[in-house]
Amino acid sequence: VNKRKILPTRAALTLTPAAVNKIRLLLQDKPEYIALKVGVRTRGCNGLTYTLDYTKDKDKSDEEVLQDGVRVFIEKKAQLTLLGTEMDFVESKLSSEFVFNNPNIKGTCGCGESFNI
Amino acid sequence: AGQQINHLHQSPKYLHTAGLQRFGSASTQETSAASSAAEDQVYLTKSCVKRLAEIMEKGEYLRIHVEGGGCSGFQYKFSVDRTKNEDDRVFEQGGVGVIMDQDSLEFVKGATVDFSQELIRSTFQVLKNPQADHSCSCGSSFSVKL
Repeated sequence: VNKRKILPTRAALTLTPAAVNKIRLLLQDKPEYIALKVGVRTRGCNGLTYTLDYTKDKDKSDEEVLQDGVRVFIEKKAQLTLLGTEMDFVESKLSSEFVFNNPNIKGTCGCGESFNI
Repeated sequence: AGQQINHLHQSPKYLHTAGLQRFGSASTQETSAASSAAEDQVYLTKSCVKRLAEIMEKGEYLRIHVEGGGCSGFQYKFSVDRTKNEDDRVFEQGGVGVIMDQDSLEFVKGATVDFSQELIRSTFQVLKNPQADHSCSCGSSFSVKL
């Protein structure tokens, strides 16, 4: 049996320059962490919400996204949900947040934190 | 939005209990602590004062505005404002101020304004609002006690 390597045609998650910069800043002074991990959780009025955490190691089932020198892992459960999503970082005077522009979703909650597929 | 409304109507029981759980501790606290004079107050947490001191220039206030919208009926809006109108109330603490018009204050009095910092987002939030029956998970939308 040939060891065939399956090459993804495109990354499961793309990062905007703003998100890359922010993640780089976040991980810079925390050498014990190697990446951020994106996941989804059942919560909110519309079904699902995104989670974001620091992570020390890569689980076997995690999908790794390496872009411009920063690493983001996607939890197994979230991989289908997030496929093709763009991760952005939006900063204003009053708030700053990571925003996920997800082409798969059908609807969101008013605040944009909760969504359904 | 239409789907959401249907959903709300279908499961009022669940939503009601969720609201009770979420605000159960807060509302009992507020009723026991609130005297008639302090009822029209809005409280600021330390992190809120600290963050406002960092971002606000002199003469700028954080305006909290309540408007219709969101999945639960009402939602909070935050903005930076320099002008004080006639019917505005200002709550000052540690050199910074939160400003609110009288109509909005009716829906928020007794609540606490916080600046929450998480990895995924950092933002101002209204917490422990005794006027709110239940709120959306994100905290930006709420329904009013009748």
